Amino acid sequence: MQNHNFIAQIEGHGALDVNWDKNKAVLEVHEGERLFEGMVVGRPVEELYWITPRICGVCPVAHNLAAIKAVENALSLKPSLSAVLLRKLLMDAQMIQSHVLHLYFLALPDYLGLDSGLEVIKTHPIYFNQALELKRVSDLIADTIGGRGIHPTSTAAGGFHKVPSPETLKKLKKETKKILEAAESTVHLFSSLNYPEIKANPTLFSQVNRKTYEVYDIKYITSNKKLKEKSADFEKVIKEEIKPYSTAKFGYHKGKGMMVGSLARLNLQGNFLKGKAREFFKEASLNFQNPYHNNLAQAIETYHFVQEANEILDELIENGVDRETIQLPKEYKPTKASRGIGAVEAPRGGLYYEIEVDTKGLITECNIITPTVQNLSSMEESAQAVLDQTDSQAREKRMELLEMLVRAYDPCITCSVH
Amino acid sequence: MVSRVELKPKVAIFDFTDCEGCEVAIVSLREKLLELAGETEIVNWRLAQKRADDGPYDIVLIEGTPVTQHEIDTLKFLRGQTKFLIGLGSCATLGGIPGIIDREARTFWYKKIYGEKYKPRGIDALPLTAYVKVDYLIHGCPVEKKEVLRVMAELLAGKVPQGRGYSVCFECKQAGNPCRLLEKKICLGPITQGGCGAICISGGSPCYGCFGIKEGAQIDNLLTTLYKFSDSQDVERYFSMFLKKTPEYARLFSKSKKNAKP
Repeated sequence: MQNHNFIAQIEGHGALDVNWDKNKAVLEVHEGERLFEGMVVGRPVEELYWITPRICGVCPVAHNLAAIKAVENALSLKPSLSAVLLRKLLMDAQMIQSHVLHLYFLALPDYLGLDSGLEVIKTHPIYFNQALELKRVSDLIADTIGGRGIHPTSTAAGGFHKVPSPETLKKLKKETKKILEAAESTVHLFSSLNYPEIKANPTLFSQVNRKTYEVYDIKYITSNKKLKEKSADFEKVIKEEIKPYSTAKFGYHKGKGMMVGSLARLNLQGNFLKGKAREFFKEASLNFQNPYHNNLAQAIETYHFVQEANEILDELIENGVDRETIQLPKEYKPTKASRGIGAVEAPRGGLYYEIEVDTKGLITECNIITPTVQNLSSMEESAQAVLDQTDSQAREKRMELLEMLVRAYDPCITCSVH
Repeated sequence: MVSRVELKPKVAIFDFTDCEGCEVAIVSLREKLLELAGETEIVNWRLAQKRADDGPYDIVLIEGTPVTQHEIDTLKFLRGQTKFLIGLGSCATLGGIPGIIDREARTFWYKKIYGEKYKPRGIDALPLTAYVKVDYLIHGCPVEKKEVLRVMAELLAGKVPQGRGYSVCFECKQAGNPCRLLEKKICLGPITQGGCGAICISGGSPCYGCFGIKEGAQIDNLLTTLYKFSDSQDVERYFSMFLKKTPEYARLFSKSKKNAKP
């Protein structure tokens, strides 16, 4: 290994490889390929959403639901109103779990100058306890609604295998109400941190429905450069490139990097936020040209998803879960060979599934584009911006800035190599 | 008073090719993880800390399947660095979900997914035991949190942990689930090691055997029952979910041998 290179280790098996002589940064990914898109071919559609959550243990619910939506699309199945609400609640839990894990255990130690998330308990016990409380309740929601949070067991195409009882929902509401306070402190904590000032100006992309702040029931892909395409046409928007130095593909839009995730969502649908989440968003005055602000965006979103989980639980308790939710089809077979697309906004951004199913109900083709595949391109470009804009600074400082940049993007390498 | 310096056991957690869900399950232990971190010294855990000490270690937990040459070499190296080597989760203990793809099929899928020019890194998704001696396997996809605590408690008490002596059926009955076999649905619960609490069946999903085949399981008897109401392809598919890289799968379904169907 040449010593003029600096390698910042990132989550999963990846590294940002910096060549100081050339002032150039390259994002290497060397996670082994699992070949999920091949793994599911020849298997029944109902195994798609069993297998693909195993792409990622940090956001398995997002994979589970995107896969379910693809199957429902191919088989023309329509979930009941309660099924959609339960899934939105499950997504809220997923977002809180993922954001909290990243914010408190991975990003915060950088800002506090600590070695690990576990050390926060010694230096800042209040922060640590609110993180544990957010984790506890979001895990509880995911386990209760999904059967199990990490790799759900109760969800299915067409609805759910099992749904919680009214008593269980009431208990869940009681717990979920408690974490509004911790979510609010999270916003204050992450508003108080000093984020590095870098103008990377990434192009931001988010799926939206233009009615509510939405991550499950989305319709279009939009960008801060005026793009508007149907989510079903994701292949027109995202072009994947193979790099010799990476087992993950890189997603580009018209040859340029794409930034997806919390900062992009707040930029493109922040005006649909309600209540306190809306206030926090206005007060934060996020700088959308600065990718480091993604951490602050995740904190604001955490509050939004806690708020939404509370609202959905109220609605479910008030109206009850309709009976159709657990009436699943006897067989998952289309009348003719069909294509299905399923998309959601996962914690880290747009997640897209496309499948083809034959009349026996077996999968014949599968394509999956994950959020981190899109973010890798923008991350590499932003790393270059950091190098270009910090020329006069000490090398140690620049190394620290690059490590924090990678953290800000919250890459999920295991998702990116699937 | 006599003061005594107790050395805490050095624990390291590594991960190979996988989803990281078992590590996330460990983080979800929350307060119990803190207790564990207090009783031991976690000296290397890429996911959760910057500290990354070299060995020797007392206990090494490995998540994931060693699919690249680098991972295989690392695994062999780590075996020499630790007293106890523990597999964490079905990818490590069985080959698991990544094991669905056979070595021979990889070439085809590399071309289809990555194109002709791509130089693949992965060789084959096999369990840790294909390369080194492993002291205990914590099965599960993902691991069950209580099992992780039980195994760690036993290791810290100086015991070598043992598997559960019963199958998933025992816990499934306790959970009050109707029997899938009686409903003519394929189930691998009767031959699968317990410890999971029958969580998948309780949620409405099938049991694909992610806890591994129990010692002394009557596999052939289960097959006789399954073939009464389902065809052999479906049965094989169930076995192929987590168990495809096990010797039992090779014995039952290997193409070179006669199909096990009577």
